[in-house]
Amino acid sequence: MYLAIREMRFAKVRYSLIAIIMLLVAFLVLFVTGLARGLAYDNAASIQNMDATHFIMEKDSNHRFTRSQISEQVLLQASSIVGEDNVQPLGVKMTTMTAEGKIGKLDVTLLGINPEGWLMPKLTEGAAITATGTGQVLVDRKLKDSGIGLGTVLIDQASGLKWTVSGFVNHESFSHSPAVFLNEHDWQQLQLTTITTPSATKWTDSTYNAVAVKANTHHKEQLTAVLADAEIVTKADAVSAIPGYKEEQGSLWMMIIFLFIISSFVLAVFFYVITIQKSSQFGILKAIGTRTGYLVRSVALQVLLLSAGSLVVSMLLIQATESILPSGMPFLLQSSTMALTSIAFVTMSLVGSLLSVWKVTKIDALDAIGRTAA
Amino acid sequence: MRHRLILNNITHTFEDGGIQRTVLNNLNLQVSEGELVAVMGPSGSGKSTFLSIAGALLDPKGGEVLLDGESVSDKNKQELSDIRLHKIGFIFQSANLIPYLKVEEQLTLVAKLGNMNKRKAAERIRELLDMLGLNHRRSAYPDKLSGGERQRVAIARALMNDPAVLLADEPTASLDASRGMDVVRMLAEEARELGKSAVMVTHDERVLPLCDRVLYLENGGLIERK
Repeated sequence: MYLAIREMRFAKVRYSLIAIIMLLVAFLVLFVTGLARGLAYDNAASIQNMDATHFIMEKDSNHRFTRSQISEQVLLQASSIVGEDNVQPLGVKMTTMTAEGKIGKLDVTLLGINPEGWLMPKLTEGAAITATGTGQVLVDRKLKDSGIGLGTVLIDQASGLKWTVSGFVNHESFSHSPAVFLNEHDWQQLQLTTITTPSATKWTDSTYNAVAVKANTHHKEQLTAVLADAEIVTKADAVSAIPGYKEEQGSLWMMIIFLFIISSFVLAVFFYVITIQKSSQFGILKAIGTRTGYLVRSVALQVLLLSAGSLVVSMLLIQATESILPSGMPFLLQSSTMALTSIAFVTMSLVGSLLSVWKVTKIDALDAIGRTAA
Repeated sequence: MRHRLILNNITHTFEDGGIQRTVLNNLNLQVSEGELVAVMGPSGSGKSTFLSIAGALLDPKGGEVLLDGESVSDKNKQELSDIRLHKIGFIFQSANLIPYLKVEEQLTLVAKLGNMNKRKAAERIRELLDMLGLNHRRSAYPDKLSGGERQRVAIARALMNDPAVLLADEPTASLDASRGMDVVRMLAEEARELGKSAVMVTHDERVLPLCDRVLYLENGGLIERK
C-alpha cells in the first residue's frame, strides 16, 4: 500500500490522465444506464406500475397486449382459481385523438380498467373516474404540454367517441405514448364501435385484451391447465413485448456492455505498459526481499483506487447533470441500479488488472543483478 | 572468528545451445565478520552467477550457501524472499533506487517489509542517514541526487534490516574515481564497524587497496593472488 500510494503521488500526471479517462467512461456508463432505465420506464410505465405478476393473454398473440383478445369467460375462470381479488380486466388500445378546440392530433394509449380495482393509478390532480360514471377519463400529465387541461374534451379519431378529462395521473405511458384511463363502461362502448369480426378470434364475446392477475407458481400451473386457449405471460415478458421496447433496450445495453469492456481494456493496457516499464524496478524490489504478493496487492490497489475514485466523482457529476436535465428527458437512476453498476465497473477494472498481475508474478528477481540502469 | 557467509562446494551449470557449460565448479568461500572481499574476473567468468547464488536469488546445482550458519537450500520462494529481506543487503550497479520514493522512504519501505516497529525504524533511519552523511538529503527524490549520494542511499538501504551479509554488484561502475573510492571506503567501514561479511564484485582496480582480500574468479573457482 506504501508503494502504490507513493507512486501515484509521484507520477501525478500519468495517473491523472488515466483517472480522467476512467472518469469519462464511468460517467458515460452511469448516464447511459440511467437513460436505458428511464426509457424503459417511460416506455412501459403503465404496465410496470401495475401490481400484477402475470397477464393472461390470447394464445398466439406473441405476448402483445394489442394483439390479444380475451373474453369475459376467461376472466371468470381465472377469478375462480386465484380469487376475485387477484384478477383485473385490462383493455389496451393505441389510438389517435384530437382535443376539442385544439389543432393537432395526439397519439395515446387507451387503457380500460376497473376504477375500483387495483389497476387504478394514483390521482395527482382533478377528480377520479368512477365505475358508474360515463365519458370521464384520467390522462397522463405529459398531455398537459399539448395544452390538455381539466375539462378538455378528447375525440377518438377512429370511433368518434368523446371523453372529458376529469383528472391527471403521473408517469403513465405505454410504448412511449401517454396513457388515457377509461372505466369499463366506456371501454365496452368503444369496443362496440369497433366490432371485431367473430372469426378473427377464438372468443365471440371478446371484450378485453388481457387479464392482470396476482398469482403464485401453483396458481400459474392451474391457470395454464384450465385455460387452453390462453397463455400466462409474466410481467417482464409482457413488458419486453411492448412495441419498440426490446429494440430500444437492446441497443442501449449493447452500449453499456461495450463501455464496461472498454474500461476494462483501457486499464489493462495502461497497467500492462506501466508494469513492463517498471519490470526492472519490480526485479530490484523482489531482490531486496519484497514478496510477490505485496507487489500484486500494490498493483490491484492502484487499479481499485483509480476505478473507485473516478466512479465517485462521476456519481457526483451524474447527480449534478440529472438536476439540470430537461423534464421531458427520460432519465432514471435508482440507487440500487447505481450500486449494481458501480460493482460491475469496479469488478471489470480488476479483471483488467489481471494481465499486469500475471506479468508481475513472472518477473524474476535475478534480473536485478548485472543491470546498469533502473 | 565467525564466518557469516560460507559457500561450500558450489557448482552451477547452464544449458547453452545444447552444451552443458559449467560456470562455477566446486567454489568455496568463507567471509568473516567485518571483512570486505573483492571478487574480480573478466566478463563471462560467472561473477553475476556467483553473486546471485550468494544472494539466495539462484539455487545452485550443487553445494550449499550458509548465512549465519543457516543453509538456504530447500526453501520456497517466500522463505527465500524473507531471507533476502533479513539476512542480505544488496547494493546494485547504479544504485537502482525506487524512483518515486524519497531518500528516507527508501529505507522506510525496507522497514515496512520487515515489519519493523515504527519508532525503531524512524530512529534507525536517522542513524543510518547520519552515518552516511545524507541527513540533508532525506526528502530528496533519487533523480535529484548525485551518483555518489545515490550509492550511499543504496548502502543505507542495504543496512536497514541489519543483515548478516552485504553483497555489492559493481557499486562503483557509474561513479568517477574519487566518488568510487568514497563509496567503497564507506562500505568497508560499515562492514568492519557493524560486523558484516561483505562481498563486492568489481572491475575497478583502484578500489582494491580498500578491501581486506582480493579474489579472482577463474575456471569456476576463486583464487587469491598476492
